[in-house]
Amino acid sequence: MKTRITKTLLESWAYTFDCAEGYEEDAMEDFIKTLKREPIEETEAIANGKAFEAMVQALTEGREVSLGKWENGARKVADIVKGGQWQVHVETDLTVDGREYWLHGFCDVVKAGVIYDIKFKSKSFNGLDLYGSYRGHAQHSAYLKCLPEAYEFVYLVSDGDELYTESYNRYNARPIEDWIREFMSWLQTKPELLQIYEERWQYT
Amino acid sequence: MIQHGYELDFSKQTFGVILYGAPGIGKTTLALSDGNNGGDTLLIDLEHGVGRTNPIHRMNASVLSAATYEEVLADLNTPEAAAAKTIVIDTAGSLVDYLKDWAMRTKEGAKTKAGQWNGLKGFGFVKTEMESFVNKIKVVMNKNVVFIFHCDEKADKDGNPIQRLRCEGSFRNTVWTGIDFGAYIQMLGNKRVACFSPEDEFFAKGCHGISGHIEIPTLTEETKNDFLQKLFDTARANMISENAGVAEKIEQYKKIIEGVKEMVDAVTDADTANACLKAIGAMDHALTSKKEAGKILTDKAKTLGLTYSRAAGAYVAGDPA
Repeated sequence: MKTRITKTLLESWAYTFDCAEGYEEDAMEDFIKTLKREPIEETEAIANGKAFEAMVQALTEGREVSLGKWENGARKVADIVKGGQWQVHVETDLTVDGREYWLHGFCDVVKAGVIYDIKFKSKSFNGLDLYGSYRGHAQHSAYLKCLPEAYEFVYLVSDGDELYTESYNRYNARPIEDWIREFMSWLQTKPELLQIYEERWQYT
Repeated sequence: MIQHGYELDFSKQTFGVILYGAPGIGKTTLALSDGNNGGDTLLIDLEHGVGRTNPIHRMNASVLSAATYEEVLADLNTPEAAAAKTIVIDTAGSLVDYLKDWAMRTKEGAKTKAGQWNGLKGFGFVKTEMESFVNKIKVVMNKNVVFIFHCDEKADKDGNPIQRLRCEGSFRNTVWTGIDFGAYIQMLGNKRVACFSPEDEFFAKGCHGISGHIEIPTLTEETKNDFLQKLFDTARANMISENAGVAEKIEQYKKIIEGVKEMVDAVTDADTANACLKAIGAMDHALTSKKEAGKILTDKAKTLGLTYSRAAGAYVAGDPA
C-alpha cells in the first residue's frame, strides 16, 4: 500500500514531543486532527504569518500594499525572494523499509536552485535565541528530497523588522527517510492511529 | 563594473566568522590565527583578554584597547586598522555593552524618564549602530571579521545541555546571517576541535567545503598559529572551484527563465500552452529552472481557465474531472 506523507504531518507528530511543558495534550489533539486531515483552527500566529507573506509577495510583484509596521522586515525578505516562483508544488516517490510513500508539499518560493521558506515571529528577536531552532524541522529535509535540483534550503525569519536566516543543504539536513522511519515505528505501536493513517493518507 | 558570474575573482575573498566556547578554551588565540606578519590582525580587545594569550602566538596582531565605543570607532580610522587583513572583536557581547553605554550617553530615547536603560528603544539604537559598525569593517574596509562570543550553557526541555551565545539583544541571532563560518570550540577527549556543523547541543555554520569537526593543532613555540589562515585559504580555493561549476549554471538558468517568460507571454489557449509545455520539456535546464518554468506556465494557464490533466499529460480547457 502506498501512502501520502507531508512535512506538516511529520512536524505535527514531532511537536507532540517537542512542545512546551503543559501543552502536550493540545499538541496531541492537533496531531490527531492533522492525521485525520481535519482543518486546524487558524490562530493569530498563523494569520499573521499569512499576512506577512502576502505583503512580501505583493512587494516582489510591485503591487500596491499597505505595509504598516512590518515594512522593514517585509522589504528585507522581498529583496531576497524577488524573481522567484511562489507556492511551487514539489513531490517525489520514495520507499522506506519496503513501504512506498508519495512525499509532497508546497515551497513558499523557489529561485535559482534555492528553496525559501518565510517565517514570521510576532515577538521581537531581542528576547529570543533563534539560531538552530529550525534544525529539528522536517521541512528542509522533505523539500530538498522532493527537489533534487535545489542545492540549499533557507528559512527567512522576520519579526516585521529584522531578518534572521538559517540555511540547510543535503549534507547537514537529516535524511527524510529517518524521519519517516521514526514516525512509522511510533505509529506501529498505536494500531488505531496507524489504521487512520493508512485510511486517510492512502495514495490514489 | 559588471562581471559575469564565471569572471568573478574569489582569490581575495574576505569572510565573517563566529567563534564561541567555554572560558579558557583558546578562542582569542584561535581568532588571531590569520596572517604571518605583525599587524595582519587587529584585535579589538574589549575584555582585556589578550594578556592570556601566548606572546609568540599573537606576533601577527595589533591590539586596540578602548574605554568607549567612540574610541573604538576612532581607532578604526588609523593606519594600523587599514593595514590589517582581519579584525577580531573580543567579545561581541562586550561590544553590545559598549554600544549600550554609548546609546545611554548620546541617545535621549535610550533612557527612561527615571534615567534607566530603556530596553525597547535602546536596543533599537544598538542594533542600527551595530549593523553600521559591522558593515564598515566588512563592506567598506573589506576585512575578514571574527566575532568572539562567550557561551552560556542552558538546558533544553529534557534537561540536555545546549550552548548559547552570551550577548544581549537581537545581535546574537542576526549575526549568523552575515557570517560564513560559525564554530563552537570544545574539547573532545584530549583534542580541541572547532565544530562547523550544527548538532543537538550547539548551533554552527559552515560553507565552501568547511564542515564538521576540524581539529585545532596544539600550539608550541615552534608551531605557527595559522588555523584561520589555512581555513580561509581552503575556503577560497573551494569557492573558486565551486564557482567554475555553478556560475555557468546560473547564467544558463537566467537565460532559460527569460526565454520561458517570453514564451509564456505568447500563450493564449490550450494549444499554445501545450506547445509551450513541450518546449519547456525539451530545454537543457539548469538548477531549478524546469520546476520554475512549469510554475510560470501553470500560473498563466490558470488565468486562461486551463488546467493540467495528468491523464492526458496536457493542458485542457476547464476542469479535467
